[in-house]
Amino acid sequence: MKLRIALCHLTVVTSMVMLSSCQGGSTPPAASSVPAATDVATQPLGQVAGVSQDPASSLSTANPYDGNPQAVEQGKALFVKMNCAGCHAYTGKGNMGPDLTDTYWRYGGLPIQIYTSIHDGRPQGMPAWGTALAPQDIWKLVAYIQSFGGTVPASDYRQAHEGDTPGEQVAPEASTAPSPPSASGGSKP
Amino acid sequence: MAITAYVGSAGLLLALASSWYAPPAGASQDPAAASSTASPQAKAPAASATSSSGATFNFAPNDPAGEWHSQARDYANTRYSPLDKINAGNVGKLRIAWTFSDGTLHGHEAAPLVVGNTMYVVTPFPDMAYALDLTKPGAFISWTFKPNPSPSAVGKACCDAVTRGSTYVDGMLIYNLLDDHTVAVDVKTGKQIWRTKMGNLKTGETMTMAPFAVGDKVFVGDSGGEMGAHGWIAALDVHTGKELWRAYNTGSDAIARIGADFKPYYAWMKGKDLGISTWPAGAWQHGGGTVWGWISYDPQTNLIYYGTSNPSPRVPAQRPGDNLWASTIFARDADTGMARWAYQTTPHDEWDYDAVNEDILMDLPINGRIRKVMVHFDRNAYAYTIDRTTGEVLLAAPFAYLNWSTGFDMKTGRPIVNKDKEPKPNVEITNLCPPDIGGKDWQPSAASPRTGLVYAGIFNICMDLTDHKVGYIQSTPYDGMEMSRRAAPGGNLGEFMAWNPATGKKVWAIKEKFMTMSGALATAGDIVFYGTADGWFRAVNAWNGKVLWSQKLGSGVIGQPITYIGPDHRQYVAIYSGIGGAATVKADANLSGFPALGGTLYVFSIDGDSVQTDSDDAPTPSPSTANE
Repeated sequence: MKLRIALCHLTVVTSMVMLSSCQGGSTPPAASSVPAATDVATQPLGQVAGVSQDPASSLSTANPYDGNPQAVEQGKALFVKMNCAGCHAYTGKGNMGPDLTDTYWRYGGLPIQIYTSIHDGRPQGMPAWGTALAPQDIWKLVAYIQSFGGTVPASDYRQAHEGDTPGEQVAPEASTAPSPPSASGGSKP
Repeated sequence: MAITAYVGSAGLLLALASSWYAPPAGASQDPAAASSTASPQAKAPAASATSSSGATFNFAPNDPAGEWHSQARDYANTRYSPLDKINAGNVGKLRIAWTFSDGTLHGHEAAPLVVGNTMYVVTPFPDMAYALDLTKPGAFISWTFKPNPSPSAVGKACCDAVTRGSTYVDGMLIYNLLDDHTVAVDVKTGKQIWRTKMGNLKTGETMTMAPFAVGDKVFVGDSGGEMGAHGWIAALDVHTGKELWRAYNTGSDAIARIGADFKPYYAWMKGKDLGISTWPAGAWQHGGGTVWGWISYDPQTNLIYYGTSNPSPRVPAQRPGDNLWASTIFARDADTGMARWAYQTTPHDEWDYDAVNEDILMDLPINGRIRKVMVHFDRNAYAYTIDRTTGEVLLAAPFAYLNWSTGFDMKTGRPIVNKDKEPKPNVEITNLCPPDIGGKDWQPSAASPRTGLVYAGIFNICMDLTDHKVGYIQSTPYDGMEMSRRAAPGGNLGEFMAWNPATGKKVWAIKEKFMTMSGALATAGDIVFYGTADGWFRAVNAWNGKVLWSQKLGSGVIGQPITYIGPDHRQYVAIYSGIGGAATVKADANLSGFPALGGTLYVFSIDGDSVQTDSDDAPTPSPSTANE
C-alpha cells in the first residue's frame, strides 16, 4: 500500500518534469517549483505507525500554480470540459459528488491531497484522471478548487493532519507551536 | 381530535364509508368510529358514496389480503390494500408498534414486503436485505444478506445511492444492486441463489429500480440518464437469473425489439429505425432512455408497460430531433419483449422530464364507453389517461404548476412547447416550471376502487436553468444542466392530491411546505397514507382529504407505505423514514426544518399494540429482574 502510493507519486513527479520540459513559454513554469522526485517518492502521505518524527512533510507540497490567476481560469475551463461540474456542480457546491467549496474534506484538503484525489480517483465513484490529464492540468484543477476558499494551505499541513482547521481556535499548545521549517511555500525541502 | 373536527364537517361521507365497510368482528373499535356509524346518516343508501370515476381494477395476482409481495402490490400498480381494520374511524389511534434501524443513511425509497409471517426489507447502498420475524416481539432479525456491491457505484448514481425495492417470487427475494447486478435470495436461509451482472459501472450505468415479476420472469432495467448510459429493459428467468430478452430504448428497431407488431397510435412515431434517425449521427449510443421507474402488467393482453428516462445529454441543443425512444411509454409483449406500441410524453425532452413514472391500469367509463386505460402522472406535469391497448391519449391535463408548455394538441398527441422556456447553451432561463424532477417524480401514486380516485404526492417547484454543452467522457456525467430550484407560486414545495382520471380534474389537495416525495397507499378503510420530506407521516380521508392522523418520524419520508396483517391478526402500517434521493438536492435542503438523514422503518398499529410474547418462548425479563 505504502509502496504503491510512493511509486505513484514518483511517476507523477517524473512525468511532470518530462512534460514541463516539452512545454512552450506560454504556460506558467511548473517544474522548477515542484519538489525533487526523491523527496516526494520516499514520503508516505498518511499516518505511519511507530514513526516518531513528522510523517507528513510531503503533505507540505504546494501547488506550483499557487496564486496564479491564469491557472485558476484554465482550471475552471477544465472543470467544465472534463465534466467535473456534472458531479460537483458548476458552483463547486456538490451534487452527486462532494461540495468542494466548504472546509470538509473526506480525503484531505491540502493541495497535494486534492491532487492525489484527482490523479488516483477515490472509491465512491471519483474517476482516476492520472492517465487522461497531464500533471499541469491536474494542478490547474487544484488551483481552481483552491480558489473556492475551502482548501487548506500547504503551509498548514501539520494542523490539518491533526484535524485542526486553520483559523479556528485550537488548544493553546497547538496554536503557539512553532511553524515547521518547510511551512513557507512548502516547495523547498 | 382531527376525527371530531372531520365528523362535524363531513360526517355523511364518513358514515357512509363506515357502514359500507364495517370492520369485521375482532377489529379494534373506538368511540369515534362507533359514534359515526351510529349516526342517522349511516342508514343512507351506500350507493351515494359511489366512485367518482367508475374505475374498476384487476387486482391480479390477487396476493393474500394481509400480505404485500411486490412494491405496487398488484400488476396494475394500484398500491391498494383490501384491509379495513384500520379505517377513517379509528386511524386517529395509530401509534408506533415497533421500529427497525437498518444501519444505512442513503435515501430510503423502498417499500418493505410481507410474506407469511416475515417482513423483508432491502436497504440503499450497500444493498443489504433483512428478514424480520413478525411472530416475535420487536423486529427480530432472522437473517441478514450482505451482497457487498462495489463502492464506486455510489458516485455513478445521479440521485443518491438508492433502491426502489424488491419483489417476492416463489421463495426468493429478488432485487437490484446499485453496481448493476440482479440478485435472488432464498427467503428461508438468506443465502444467494443467483446473481446476474446486467450492466457496467464504467459506462455510467447503475440499477435502482425494483424488479417486477410476472410468472417465471422478472423484468429489470438500468439507471444512468445523467451519465450517457444506453437504456434497456430485460427479462430474466426467476429461477436461474438467465437473461431471456433485452430491449434497448434507443438505436435500431432490431435492438429496440420493434417489429411488425409495433403499432404506435400517432404517425410521428411510425417509421423505420426512429431510434437512430431522430438523433444526430450516433448520438443514440449515449442517449439515455434508461428504465429506473415502474413496470405494470395486463394479464389479459400479456403486455408490460414502462417508461424510459430523459435523453442524454440533458442539453437539448446537442441532440436536435425527437430523440426516440427516450421519455417514452412502451407496451411490450412480456414473453418476447417485442414492442406493441409506444408514446413519447415529452418529444425532444429539453428539461429532463423522463416518462418513468408509474402507469396505473384500470378500466374507466369515458364518453359512455368503458375504456381499458392507464393513468400516468408524468414529470412534465401533465396527467395522462391513455388507452393501454393502442397508446391513444384520451385525456391530458396539467396536475401541477407548469409553464414549459402552453397546451396540448389532442390531434397529434404532442404538448405545445412554450418557445420562451426552451433552454439554449449559456443562456439562463429563469422561472422554468416544473424543474428537472418534474411536477411529480418517481414516487408512486395509489388508486382506490371505492372512491375511483388516484392519490399522488406532487411538487410545486420551478427552476432557473443554464445549459452548458458537454462532451461524452466515459464514467462521468453527460449532463450539462446548471440549475437552482425554488417553490412555484404559492410558496409550498409539496402537495398531496386526489385526481379523477375520468375527468382529468383534481378533487382535493393538501399543500405541504416541504416536498411530498413519498409513495401513496390507499386502503379499503377509506384512508390514504403519505409522507413528507420533513418527516410527517399522515393518514387522510380518501373521500375528502381531511387529515385524520399525523406522526413526525425521525427523518424525512420518501419511502412507500404498506399495510399488512400480523400473525396476531392485527392490521399494521409500515413506512421507512430516511430522507435522500432527489429530495436532498437543493430546494428543500436549504430550508430550515429540513431533517437529517436516517434509515428507520416505523410500524404502526391501533394503540401501538403488537406481538408481545415470543412464540419460541424465550424468557422475557420481568421488570424486577431487569432492575437488578
